[in-house]
Amino acid sequence: MKRFDCLKLIAAEAKDALVVSSAGAMTLEWNVLRPSDGNFRVRTLGLCSSIALGMALGLPQRKIIALDGDGSLLMNLCSLPTIARMQPGNLLHIVFDNEVYEASGSKKTATACGTDLVGVARAAGIKKAMWANTIDGFAQAVSSAMTADDLCFVGAKVTAERTDVPPYPIDEVENKYRFIRYVEKTEQIAIIKTNLPASYA
Amino acid sequence: MSADEAATTIVGGLKQAGINLVVTLPDINLAQLLRAVEDDPDILHVPLCREEEGIGICAGAYLVGKKCAAIMQNGGFFNSNNAIVSTLLQYQIPLLLFIYYAGDIGDRTFSTSGSMTEPVLQALGVRYYVMRETSDAPELIKRAQILAEDAKRPVALLLTKEVLGRRAALKSL
Ligand SMILES: [Mg+2]
Repeated sequence: MKRFDCLKLIAAEAKDALVVSSAGAMTLEWNVLRPSDGNFRVRTLGLCSSIALGMALGLPQRKIIALDGDGSLLMNLCSLPTIARMQPGNLLHIVFDNEVYEASGSKKTATACGTDLVGVARAAGIKKAMWANTIDGFAQAVSSAMTADDLCFVGAKVTAERTDVPPYPIDEVENKYRFIRYVEKTEQIAIIKTNLPASYA
Repeated sequence: MSADEAATTIVGGLKQAGINLVVTLPDINLAQLLRAVEDDPDILHVPLCREEEGIGICAGAYLVGKKCAAIMQNGGFFNSNNAIVSTLLQYQIPLLLFIYYAGDIGDRTFSTSGSMTEPVLQALGVRYYVMRETSDAPELIKRAQILAEDAKRPVALLLTKEVLGRRAALKSL
């Protein structure tokens, strides 16, 4: 499967879900397919699943999608037992496994040598963890996870290829502010409050 | 003051500061504090497997409106450094870090960790305060949260045996 084709299917289902994507080309591809202030790009390799967990716990009524990679998840495997322990029913964790550190020179990851990330997720306590082996299977898994009220983990083996897309248009701080303002607007809450100067009080 | 009373006081301070999500990893000196966090109905407690994931959880929760704190040993703070740098500092995200000061003056173990704790915080530009008096804790926590939100950066509070109500453990060493 091609990651870009899978991302297209997610974009068709995502609606207003908040989406956290791991560092690398996937983020650029996703941003082209679903440009939204509800997208958050992760910079720390590995932290995608944990940042998504934090969002899922903080906004339990909102669907949160983590777009993770094999190298990223391997670096933070311990996020899986923590996610399983907290059981956020609004979290959909998707891992695109291309068996390489694509953004760092395409050296093989441990999944190229037998590590089964869905097996790891299941053993960590995530009951609904499955491989999607065909594009139709992937579409079905995402579609049913989007309407389900329980924690879901979907793995997809994809080819190690990038789609040519423009660079990410904003820096980290702008990404943060836009994301927060988007959450404030769509959830009708105030997150960052700026106080009046003392002379106005 | 007993460790249980100290834990109640510190958790009271967390709540006064508006903290409603706390990630933790145990240390024997934090046992009563973590129990008080776990038992508090107003705080969502997330027990961790490794401290760095907790920085990510707090960052994600902050982005959707939670007020967070992370409680860990200084060893866990060292474990968390990449996330502190490339997530909290890079994106300008506030977070209260409660760091148990293993290897503090008078401690017979962990002196290497103790010696590195403040220099690493200084190198990261993370402002920190060493807590010694439990009665000062609520006020200090409130002020630290104001600083973190205003600066949009992490702020560290170093938890000593004294502030945790574990003076007896200190004397027995
Ligand atoms: Mg990869």
